[in-house]
Formats: sequence, C-alpha cells, structure tokens
Amino acid sequence: MFRALLPVRCLLPPRRPPAAAPPRRGLRGRDPTRDGGLPLGRRVAAVAAAGAAAGAGWLYLRQEKERRRRARRREELRALALGQGDFALLDQEGRPRRKADFLGRWVLLYFGFTHCPDVCPEELEKLCRAVALLEREPGLPPVQPLFITVDPERDDVAAVGRYVRDFHPRLLGLTGSPEEVRAAGRAYRVYASAGPKDEDGDYVVDHTVLIYLLGPDGLFLDYYGRSKTDAQIAQSVRRHMETYEPVQ
Amino acid sequence: AAKMSAPTMEERKACWGARDEFWQCLDRHADDASKCEKLRLSFESRCPQQWVKHFDKRRDFLKYKKKLETEGYHPPEADGKS
Repeated sequence: MFRALLPVRCLLPPRRPPAAAPPRRGLRGRDPTRDGGLPLGRRVAAVAAAGAAAGAGWLYLRQEKERRRRARRREELRALALGQGDFALLDQEGRPRRKADFLGRWVLLYFGFTHCPDVCPEELEKLCRAVALLEREPGLPPVQPLFITVDPERDDVAAVGRYVRDFHPRLLGLTGSPEEVRAAGRAYRVYASAGPKDEDGDYVVDHTVLIYLLGPDGLFLDYYGRSKTDAQIAQSVRRHMETYEPVQ
Repeated sequence: AAKMSAPTMEERKACWGARDEFWQCLDRHADDASKCEKLRLSFESRCPQQWVKHFDKRRDFLKYKKKLETEGYHPPEADGKS
C-alpha cells in the first residue's frame, strides 16, 4: 500500500507478483509491519484523508480560478468602456431619456431599425422572450428591454411607437436627432451603415446585430449574438445577477 | 416625398409567409423559378422591394451554406497547382 505513496526515485525493488513479493519496505528499508508501522486499516484511512484533502483543495482552486476569470472578464469589459457616454434620446411617448434614467436597473438593449426585413423583429422577439422567462422567476430583479434605432432619419417617435407595440409591453424604444442617435450607437461601438435608396426611397441599414446586457451600474456586462437562444440569454442574465458585484 | 411607413407586424408576417411559400415551391422544383411564377408575384406584392432583394440574397446565401455543408469547401484553384 505504501508503495503507491512513495516517489519513484526511492530505491525500491521492482514490483513482483504478490506470491513472490518481498517483504514490504518503508522509507528506511525496514519492513514497516514488523516494527509496528500502521496497520492496513489506518493506511487506507490515511490515503482516503489525503485524497479528500486533495479533492477539497482542487475544488477550492477551481472556484478561485472561476472567480478570477470572471473578474478578468469584468475588467476587459470595463476597459472596452462600452456604453460609457451618456445619451439623450426620446422614448416612444416623446419623453426624454438619458442613460442615467436606467441606473439601478438591468437592461437588455438592441440596436435596430423599423424597416428591417427580418433580423430585427427576430432578435427583438428573442430579447422579449428572454425578458419574459426572467419575469417568471421569483426573486429576480426586473429587466428593462430597450430598443434604440440606427435609422433616425425614418424612425421618429411615432414610427418607433408603432414598432415596439408589437413586442413586449415594457419594451422602450428610443430615437432622437441623428447626432444623438449616432452618439448612442458609437458609445456601444455599433456599426451602422445605410444602404442605397431604391426608387421608393426605401433602404436597409446594415448594422451590428447584438443584444447588450447592462448592469444596474450602467456598465456593459455581456452581449449575445444571433446564435444565442432566449433560454441561453435568460440563463446568462440570471448568472450575472447572481454573481453581480457593484463596481463602486 | 412622404415617408413610407414601416410594415406592421401583420404585414411583416404576410411578407414572410409569401416568401416561405415561394421558397418551398423553389425547393420542390429544384430552384426552377419558372415553375413558381405566381408565388413569386405574390411574394413581390407583399414585401417591400428592398426586402425582396434582401431575401433573394439570403436565399443565395443559404444555398451556398448548404452546399458548403454537404460538399465541403473547394477553393477555386488553377489546375496543375502544386
């Protein structure tokens, strides 16, 4: 039994089949059982205790590693400084909304435009389904669904109002002057580029397709692409809520 | 010129439905558009022109993606390249 615990460089005779095994030697070449070493039961217990200690140590280290990974990710996201600037936009009722208005709340944010063929409605529906999933869980803070247009030339307050009505009752849609809207998009590094106009004056806006998660301190915490499902988003938001540590 | 209002949710769904019918017809006839003219017209009438263009491009992309998945990627190479 002790053989398993000893480092290889100790000088031990090579392992032989049990029938021909030489008397077991401890570190000093003495037969441990002969001069009163630990009996088998105690040795099993010692190995088990060592194994349990190693296991506990490993679990702790793993937890530490996970904690440090999360802290590193937070630092990376903070360094990206996404969404740091303020914005001054109007919601679908024409009320002015600044970034500070959302402090203290969790926000899921999507940039899109109302003339969008398919991607924006799909992503907004997904966002709102994720919000609905989270609403069903007791004890979680409410999540504010937020839509900001990348097409301020066409998406005025009325247009945004008509658009967001179809999704979630709490979905807020923001628009404003082209300058303010561009500033808000820039703050989140949202790429937006209007395509060529056709004979009806219609055009599509090519843009970053991401759902952003903002924490109650206004900091950007995570993002979700097209491939994330509503359940995956809800689960991620829940995890962020559980591990959330206020910044200041 | 008056600003054209964005399609409502009902109009979007009507457009997507017409698109899906047209695409299903194409699937049934191995992309022979001549066999699906009526559905093509229906699709074009229910969707803004920009969306028709967008969906046509999307169809091409989806076909290309499927081809990559089934046949693998064959980079265009000149013959005899070492």
